[in-house]
Amino acid sequence: MPTALPLLRMEGITKIFPGVVANDHISLELMAGEILALVGENGAGKSTLMKILYGLYRPDSGEILVRGEKVRIVGPKDAIARGIGMVHQHFMLVPPFSVLENIVLGSETSTLGVLSSAKPSAEIAMLMENNNLRVELQAKVEELPVGLQQRVEILKILYRGAEILIFDEPTAVLTPQESDELFKTFRRMRDQGKGIIFISHKLDEVLDIADRITVIRRGKVIRTLLRAEATKPLIAELMVGKPVLLHVDNPRLEAGETVLKVEGLSELGPSGAPALRELGFEVRAAEIYGIAGVEGNGQSELVKAIAYRMKTSGGTVRLMGREISLLDVRERRELGIAHIPEDRHKYGLLLPYSLADNFTLGSHHKAPYVNGFGVQNRKRIAQAARALIAAFDVRTPSELTPAHALSGGNQQKVIIAREMATKPKLLLANQPTRGVDVGATEFIYKQLVEAKKGGAAVLLVSADLDEIMSLSDRIGVIFKGKIIKEFEREATTKEEVGFYMMGEGK
Amino acid sequence: MTRVNKYTLYETVAPLIGFLASMIILVVIVIIVGESPAKAADAVWKMTFSKTARVATILSTAIPLFLAGIAVAFGFRAGVFNIGVEGQYFFGGFVGAMAGIYLPLPAWLHVPSVVFFAMIGGALWALIPAILKVARGIHEVITTIMFNSIALALVNWLVNGPFSGLAGKGSLEAQTAHIRPTAAFLKLNAGFRALGWDVPDSVYLDYSLIVAMIAGFVVWFVLFRLRVGFDVRAVGTSPDVSLYAGIRVKRIQLGAFLASGALAGLVGLQEVFAIRGFYTYEIASGLGLDGIAIALIGRNSPVGVVFSSLLFAFLKQAGYGLQVYTKVPNSVIYVITGLMILIIVVTNELVSRYIRALRKKEAV
Repeated sequence: MPTALPLLRMEGITKIFPGVVANDHISLELMAGEILALVGENGAGKSTLMKILYGLYRPDSGEILVRGEKVRIVGPKDAIARGIGMVHQHFMLVPPFSVLENIVLGSETSTLGVLSSAKPSAEIAMLMENNNLRVELQAKVEELPVGLQQRVEILKILYRGAEILIFDEPTAVLTPQESDELFKTFRRMRDQGKGIIFISHKLDEVLDIADRITVIRRGKVIRTLLRAEATKPLIAELMVGKPVLLHVDNPRLEAGETVLKVEGLSELGPSGAPALRELGFEVRAAEIYGIAGVEGNGQSELVKAIAYRMKTSGGTVRLMGREISLLDVRERRELGIAHIPEDRHKYGLLLPYSLADNFTLGSHHKAPYVNGFGVQNRKRIAQAARALIAAFDVRTPSELTPAHALSGGNQQKVIIAREMATKPKLLLANQPTRGVDVGATEFIYKQLVEAKKGGAAVLLVSADLDEIMSLSDRIGVIFKGKIIKEFEREATTKEEVGFYMMGEGK
Repeated sequence: MTRVNKYTLYETVAPLIGFLASMIILVVIVIIVGESPAKAADAVWKMTFSKTARVATILSTAIPLFLAGIAVAFGFRAGVFNIGVEGQYFFGGFVGAMAGIYLPLPAWLHVPSVVFFAMIGGALWALIPAILKVARGIHEVITTIMFNSIALALVNWLVNGPFSGLAGKGSLEAQTAHIRPTAAFLKLNAGFRALGWDVPDSVYLDYSLIVAMIAGFVVWFVLFRLRVGFDVRAVGTSPDVSLYAGIRVKRIQLGAFLASGALAGLVGLQEVFAIRGFYTYEIASGLGLDGIAIALIGRNSPVGVVFSSLLFAFLKQAGYGLQVYTKVPNSVIYVITGLMILIIVVTNELVSRYIRALRKKEAV
């Protein structure tokens, strides 16, 4: 292969944002008929690099060569013209349009202004057949499950003649079965001589599908591995810069009394359609209960109902036997609920505020942080913050640094430290490792297990099935607002859970 | 210099850049109008810093501007966009005046009472928009603008009708009866002279200066030392995060809205109790809108608002100077003020982004 002209060559790409070198002389090659995995921690510079390739950012220096020819890519239009296509994490589809309309959008064929559909239909049918991408052309995109919407995205770029396909964490929203289908598509496309760049942080998948693996850390290419020489610990170590323990020591404990009991919970979603339908389950002390499910099946509504929503359409939420649905957040926290929210920027941190303020948030209204006259005790707040920074190894210049200055992983540590410090009876962990790096993930897993060992009931909601499988003692599968199946962890497999996640076998 | 001090320095420099840039634009405009910049500078100088009286006038003018500024700033801190300071001080001033006219109290009690009633009046005028926001989610920008118009119409009617002090006197300017002497805001000028600052009697440096200083200190203390102030700032920064942390978001918003209205009630005190001695709906208008700009430039901090209100007072005086001594129209000052706000807001934003990037690098 080295003798052939590479399909794509990026050479010495450097991109500097104010104060941060996002890409530091990055060079990489993609051959025709190859799947290249791009791995690295959050903020390592993968997305920046791909945005440069797709014309969304202009590099400060460096060149891009497609089939040996130097090109200047000024916008996505240029990228598409050069045969570069990208499937974004958030799909760029028009929901009320049909699949066909979405695929041809922007490159419609028309005769005298009248859209023709026969010719594109035939062409698309071919693409579907060749690439394992069957979708019904007349269906409306908004009615399709996420996995099929992704197929539409892929068809869209294939229809535009893409030879170089970039996938930004494509499996984040998929069930294991859907991921397998996607990988079949990857292999088909590779066999047709296309080049695929696959961004992921799921190392199992990377090892499963990639031909070569390029690891990026802090804006630099650390190493490019051939599939044969790559192992999971090696990649993780290259990503983080130090050896990473991927195994979580998570013993099953004697589960105690029932801490959380949810019964017949019903709730309407934002659109007015039912988001929860008579959902029920319970979590006992010293166990981790994992909620597995494809995103958007009622997980957010469930967590909200437990954490803060005062009114639900029906059902009860009991903590230690006490109905909490009518209590406000402060009262619920007083009863021992702690919460790691799914979106730490939106719900978890006062970003412009100091770490000291963020560490005490939620307990800031109580002694010792205020005196009897309502005056804050800044000294005690700072002390508590320093203690937590040390105990949880938060990387920060000081407790006075604003929260927005920290990396995602460190921000998440702040939240976890704060919530753990309240010694909760029930810990709600909603997507606790989303967008954090391997090192921080390991830390977060340990903390959840710590909480369990300390006798807390832990409710883990995650879209990452591997996470659910390795942490949970019991697993409930949520589908369309209902727990449709419960498993003991030892008694099931990832495939079986994934099967139920798609609503099969009910 | 420590890094944190360096950041503070950068933040302070931003408004100065805005000020200098707008002064350069002013010079350009002066030249276009066909006036010599030297003459314009001289005119500005004469009206602002040439005499003690002028400097004292700037301070005097700054008092209501400062109060309007912290009223808006307090609301902004809680994420409440109180555009209704205007209506709140018209109504608050009226309620205060009623207390000044009709309550028979000794002076030591009367002056604090009128301050109290003015605050109550301002808060009352904020009450309905506040409830509409918290209970029904109706945006306060819309309701408070409406309430400004209602306040003006209401006090106009009250002063012309039920509370007119001119029954049968045949004057055209509608006004209330005179306030009792016990409620008058006396001048502190003699006190300043005793301290060695030679303020002439023509300038109004009265009790309202003390009111402003106390209000400024209390606002600072509440926001930055009290737990409830932390809640206010947290809600203003992110209602979602605050909700998750157990802060009673709606209660805080309601309270901050009313507090902002109460502070707004203080804006008209100087004119009613020190300058005129009666209430009329013709007291200076537009201070509520100035307050928005002042809060913005002062970054919603009481200390910042001290400076920005002094700056606004300076600009007003400078405008008069240009009007009186040169061909440059007074309205140029409004153009300049607008430009300055724009430039300061943009530089502020750029500086905070830069600092954020620096901090990020430091934390990596």
